[in-house]
Amino acid sequence: MLKMTHLSKVYRTEVVETYALRDFNIDVKEGEFVAVTGPSGSGKTTFLTIAGLLETFTGGHYHLDGIEVSQLNDNARSKIRNEKIGFIFQAFNLIPDLNVYDNVEVPLRYRGMKGAERKQRIMDALERVGLASRAKHYPAELSGGQQQRVAIARALAGSPRLLLADEPTGNLDTQMARGVMELLEEIHREGATIVMVTHDPELASRAQRNVHIIDGQVVDLSEEPRFHAHNARVADA
Amino acid sequence: MQIKPVLTALRRHKAGTVLVVLQIALTLAIVCNAMFILHARLSHLSEPTGVDEANLFVIANQWAGEQKSKQEIDAQVRADLIALQQLPGVLDAAPSNSYPLRGSGWDNFVGLKPDQLQPTSDAAVYLGDEHLLRALGVKLVAGRNFRADEIGTLGLREEVHPAQVIVTRALAERLYPHGSALGKPLYSMSATPSTIIGIVDRLQTQSVDDWQRAYAYQSMIWPLRLDWPSGLYYIVRARPGQLAAAMREAPKALLALDSQRIIDPSDGGSFAQIRQRAYDSDRGTAILMGIISAVLLVITAAGIVGLTSFWVGQRRKQIGVRRALGARQRDILSYFLTENLLISLGGVLLGVVLAVSMNVWLVVRMGAQPMSPLYLAAGVLLLLLLGQGAVLAPAMKASRVPPVEATRSV
Ligand SMILES: Nc1ncnc2c1ncn2[C@@H]1O[C@H](COP(=O)(O)OP(=O)(O)OP(=O)(O)O)[C@@H](O)[C@H]1O
Ligand SMILES: [Mg+2]
Repeated sequence: MLKMTHLSKVYRTEVVETYALRDFNIDVKEGEFVAVTGPSGSGKTTFLTIAGLLETFTGGHYHLDGIEVSQLNDNARSKIRNEKIGFIFQAFNLIPDLNVYDNVEVPLRYRGMKGAERKQRIMDALERVGLASRAKHYPAELSGGQQQRVAIARALAGSPRLLLADEPTGNLDTQMARGVMELLEEIHREGATIVMVTHDPELASRAQRNVHIIDGQVVDLSEEPRFHAHNARVADA
Repeated sequence: MQIKPVLTALRRHKAGTVLVVLQIALTLAIVCNAMFILHARLSHLSEPTGVDEANLFVIANQWAGEQKSKQEIDAQVRADLIALQQLPGVLDAAPSNSYPLRGSGWDNFVGLKPDQLQPTSDAAVYLGDEHLLRALGVKLVAGRNFRADEIGTLGLREEVHPAQVIVTRALAERLYPHGSALGKPLYSMSATPSTIIGIVDRLQTQSVDDWQRAYAYQSMIWPLRLDWPSGLYYIVRARPGQLAAAMREAPKALLALDSQRIIDPSDGGSFAQIRQRAYDSDRGTAILMGIISAVLLVITAAGIVGLTSFWVGQRRKQIGVRRALGARQRDILSYFLTENLLISLGGVLLGVVLAVSMNVWLVVRMGAQPMSPLYLAAGVLLLLLLGQGAVLAPAMKASRVPPVEATRSV
């Protein structure tokens, strides 16, 4: 589904060059639920924005659903974002000028979907997150947990195959976070591939697989001891 | 781009929207009315008077020195005319009390019956002799010119009502709309009739005031030489191409005959000068209105640019979110163009109502003409285009907000 090989991302400013990602390798299979952890500034968000085609990368390869995305122009990237990817942001990122219903409708309109189908999907998505009764409310009138559930409904409405979430529970209290997590697990069980960045070890442990990023590189925690042992054996010999 | 979501989002930005709507409405109303008035003035400016303007000049002759008797004045006028007519560059010359576009002048009520209480209309009065038609270069379209023996004289405080009169076609049609006016009587503030013996094609009145527009071509000529002690005008028509020479020679010839006179340099002159002088204030008004309209349009465009730039800055994050959710650059561009179109449509709708009300007020209070709907249509189109043009730069800027903006914390 999502495969990055030797990928690098450099932020250049006048004074410094920051390697946000370097020799970054990851392979997320269709239907996996991957939790990404790592210290602040390690490159988790950078990884997610590149994975979601929000940003370009500097070197290496990225195949999404078998397509090498570095070749695509802006319109093609917009189309993939619209049809294949659902985003959930830490800060919810609902559009404050639109009510709940209209917010969920945004990606569907960009897809050029017919009104009747849009309505059906919006109501279904709101039903799933338990907010159908709040369709006419504006984001400012909702709690953080409710806003994040609207954002999830917005990400779900277009039935994307890949769901990218950047600390979806970062702004929520424990109980709200649990609700959001249960929702994500349910979506995963229905077949979506989910990549979720989180700081919460408890949430991370509920994912199928954990990927740890340090200093812009993937570190496979489960393999680390073996790596050392192997080294030791070489040293012994 | 879909209209509904743009409209619903606009409802959350009422203050800015209402301000721009009002600004567009006011600009439309003022610009439409200003352009309409301006056009009326400008077309007025180039309307032909009916005289041979290219070759015509007028000498404003004032008698000076010791007072002459009426007979002495008349003798001098006739001598002057012969001298002028004999100049090599001159085609013809005639005496008169005034000339077209002079600004103000003699103006009489006219009627069809001797005891008529409500006059039928109003007409400018020109005095002249049998040379006047040729000197002015006006075209006789019916009847005949005055004969030399029909020409009388008019001294100070005399009231003369000549038996013959020549009228313009406009006046003839006003007095006798059904059938020819030739041979018919005309009563001009007197019980004595003047018979219409000739009709000329076109001869504009002295006044150029707006309230006189309806009468602008209603003139009549009486066969009288003006022998007032103050002076008179000589209408002189030069031969083609000899205007400058004739204008140089004519005053010299008159002063050589009798130096007891003043030729007023601020009055008369070539017809080009007369026209210039007559429409000076009109031209000033037109320029002022043009400037006001241009300034208003610039301010409105600047207002739209300012508000849209502000909104784009304010909505960077949501633009990024929209991009993340699949909006293409052109979706963002068309979002802002649509938004502006909706605001502008609201503005021009209100503006049309305002413009018409303003025009109605001008018609009722100032006697202006009712505005042609073409001005409204042109104004609406102009403001819609102005809006779209003004919004283009900020909208392009918005479309270049990168999708990654969605992940940036504010
Ligand atoms: N637009 C940018 N310009 C320059 N440097 C950037 C930019 N975005 C990220 N970086 C740098 O890239 C590195 C990785 O940042 P990133 O946001 O991916 O970290 P993160 O793992 O998501 O951190 P956190 O847990 O705090 O969210 C950091 O050193 C950061 O300063
Ligand atoms: Mg981050």
